[in-house]
Formats: sequence, C-alpha cells, structure tokens
Amino acid sequence: MTCEEFERVLPELGSGHSMEQEEHLKTCSTCSDLVADLNAISRQSRLLQGSEEPSPWVWNSIEVALRQEGLIREPQQGQGQSFIHPPRLSWKLRWLVPAAAALLVAFGVLMHQRGTGRAQLADQQSRPVGVVTADLQHSNPADVMGGDDLQLLETVASRTPSMRAAYEANLRAVNAYIRDAEQSANSDPNDEVAQQYLRNAYEQKAMVYEMALDRSLP
Amino acid sequence: MQRKQRIATLAVVMILVLATLAGAETTRKEIHFKVGRRSSISIVNQYGPISVKAGPGKRVMVTATLYSGKVEIDQSKRGNRVSVLSHLLDGADADSGRVDYEVVVPADASVTLHSTTGPLHVEKLHGDVTLEGSTATVDVRDMISAHVHIKTLNGPVTLTNLSDGYVEVTSVSGDVALNAVNGAQVHVNSSSGKIHYDGDFGEAGQYSLTSHSGDIEAIAPSYASIEVVARSVQGRVENDFPLEPEHTSFVARAGSAFAGTVGKAASSVKLLSFSGKIHLKKRQ
Repeated sequence: MTCEEFERVLPELGSGHSMEQEEHLKTCSTCSDLVADLNAISRQSRLLQGSEEPSPWVWNSIEVALRQEGLIREPQQGQGQSFIHPPRLSWKLRWLVPAAAALLVAFGVLMHQRGTGRAQLADQQSRPVGVVTADLQHSNPADVMGGDDLQLLETVASRTPSMRAAYEANLRAVNAYIRDAEQSANSDPNDEVAQQYLRNAYEQKAMVYEMALDRSLP
Repeated sequence: MQRKQRIATLAVVMILVLATLAGAETTRKEIHFKVGRRSSISIVNQYGPISVKAGPGKRVMVTATLYSGKVEIDQSKRGNRVSVLSHLLDGADADSGRVDYEVVVPADASVTLHSTTGPLHVEKLHGDVTLEGSTATVDVRDMISAHVHIKTLNGPVTLTNLSDGYVEVTSVSGDVALNAVNGAQVHVNSSSGKIHYDGDFGEAGQYSLTSHSGDIEAIAPSYASIEVVARSVQGRVENDFPLEPEHTSFVARAGSAFAGTVGKAASSVKLLSFSGKIHLKKRQ
C-alpha cells in the first residue's frame, strides 16, 4: 500500500485498520504521524465541548449570515422545524464537528464585526459629506486631543521623550485644522474648496501618525 | 616669566590631550557600492545631517562620521537597492547617536532619506526623492525632472531651482519656501507654516498651495501665464495682478477670495488658506 492509497482511505477509517493498513503504518512514519496527529486532534476537540457556550447573538449572526449567503433557507410549510439533518459520521470524523463549530463561531464574530463596520460606514455615509470625521467633533472641542492622540503621544514619549512636545504641538495644530475644515465643510457640503481643506487636514493628521509610528525613527 | 611659559606649555598640552581624546570618539567610515541604472538608495539616520549629491558613474559613496561608540552603521545591498541605517545602541541619545552622512549617488538614483533632526540636503538629482524628518530642515536644489516628496512636522523646507518636477510637500508647522520651482504638479500642504513661492509657475502645471493658519505669499513675474483661484475663509486676500474674469463656480469675494486668469492661463494655481493671509504679488 502506498501513502497515496492510505490517505485516500483515511477519511473512511474507523477505530480499526485492515492488515494492509496496519502494515503500512508500521513501515511509514509519515502516515503513522498523520494518524497520531488526527487522533490527538480528535481527543482535544472533545474538550471543546466543555468550553463556554457562545452568546445567542453569535448563533443569530451565524444564522443571519448563512441565510444571506443562501446556504440555509427558511423551512417550507409542512416540514418540521429541523431543516438540517446531520449526516452519520464515523467517529474518526466526529472531531470535525466541534472544529466546524469553532470555525462557525469565528465566522460569526467576523461577520458581526464586519456588520458593525458597515453600520459605522453607513452612518458616516448618511451624514453630510463633511462630517465623516465626527469622532473628533465629539471630543472635547477645547482640547481636541482624542484617546488615539494621547496614546500616540505616549508611544512617542516612550521612545523619545524629547519629541513628545513637538508631536503634541503639531497634533494640536492639525486637530485645529480638522475642526475648522469640518465646520467649513458642514456649512456648505457642496463647497469643493471646503472639501479640499478637509482632505488636506486629514492628510496632515495621517502624516503625523505615520511619522510617529515609523519604527525606523525615534 | 618662566612660570608663565610653563603655564602656557601646560595649557597647550592639555588642549592637545583633550583634542586627542575627543578625536578618538570620532570615527569616519567610507562605504562604496556599485549600482546599476535607476538604483534605489535609502538612508535612515535618527540624529544628524544627510547630504546627498549627484556624482559621476554608477557608484554610491557614503561617508559617515560617527561621534561615539553608541551608534553603528548597518548597510546592505540587494540587487540595485542600497540601504544604510544608523543603528543606535543602548543609551544613545541625540549627541552620542549622531551620525553625519555625505553621500554621492548616480543622478538617476531614487533616494529616500529619513531623519528626526536632519538637516537633509539633496541636490542635482533627477530620480525620485523622498525626504522625511520630524524637526529636520530640508533643502533641495538644482533638480531636473525629479519627483520630490517631502514630509516634516515642524522642519522648514526650502526648494530651489526645481524644473519640470513633481513636487509634493506636507509640513504641519514648518515654513515652506519654493524658489524657481515649476513642474507638472506642485503641491504644498501646511497647517500653521508659512508658504512662500517665488517663480513663474511654468507652462502647464498644477500648483496648489494650501494652509490652515499659515500665510501664503506667491510672487510671479508680470508675464506669468496662470489661471488662479485664491481664498481664505478668515484671512485677508490680496492680488497685484489684473485678472481676466472667467466663468467658474468659484465665488469671488473682495478681500477674501479672487479668481481669474493672467496671460494664456497655461498653469493652474490654487492658493487656499483657512485663516492665513494670501498675497499674490507681481515681481517688481
């Protein structure tokens, strides 16, 4: 028996092996390692059953996502509530169930995050053009140093304390630019010049962040 | 008398000893690379100047002066790409970590320089040039057909004699001066730094000088050929040129915005500030 033949029958294997398969496993370390790995995964995956149950919104998100993708459909009338009929699996393949569940949870979390991102984007898009950066507007207008800015300054200070003051002064200047540009853009969303101010202001802020986070410089 | 001579001799000896000790800390390194056409050279130097000039042949010559043992020079060459980096060791600061670079590169090389303190100086190249420095003074001159990208926080920027270039300068609070600079695209974006342009705006370029609170002054000859718009939301706007009005959506307001053309309007010029003053001056 060759490795290729063994791998072909591997998914069908139950708890026992045929003589031919046993012979192959004795002589082939690659396949025996593979079987050992699969057994280990199978054992470990059973432990996942005891792990914390995800909250209902995770399952809801998964269901919604699967529905949107067309992978599951509403049950037709006359049929029972259960519309997924799990196939019978050999015990060797049962480890796939918790693994698939874990994958689904991850997928659900991802979809939830994407959904949140889309919601934020939609929220931004529904506002007037100039208000896309309203987070800063919501911060203290007298100071306008948001949490990100303060974190950035801490990062700069931890690497080069002497540069903190320069970055702080420049961040304040840029934030003032953003604030004025946003007000200008809000007052006349169709004003191309006001949009240009806003783009330039954010380009400046992006540059400050880029320079501060450039690991090649202090 | 003898006592005075003895003191003088002692002083001379002390000075020599101190100079020797100081000199012992200064190391000069020369590194040479052979490169091909359109090579790429990157130099990262946290503390200290970098000066780059064009030289003959296809060689990159780096002369580095180190002032202490707390900094090393890391270098690499992969294909046509040369990288030189000042590697700060533990305890290095702006003084002990300082390295002075003098670099000669082929004129067609693309050069990227990073430094916190600078100054950065580049001249006589015609490749892509990218210069970044937080507080670094940036000076670029005598470039033809070069793409020049500059970013500083509060480092002042001076560009002199740049023709047929693509120029992009972003500085938060550093003053930006452009003397005899023209090209297809010339963009300066500043927050509080002043912008000064003295040139003829070329023949078919797009010029955009914008600031938040920094003043903008543009000086052009009477023969300049431009289509200009200028506006400051809160600052004062002045213009010395007789402008031909043109059909545009841009709303001119006396004292705060103007628009129009001069000559054949070959180049487009935007002068925009939020609260800074804007003055389009005619060169006398």
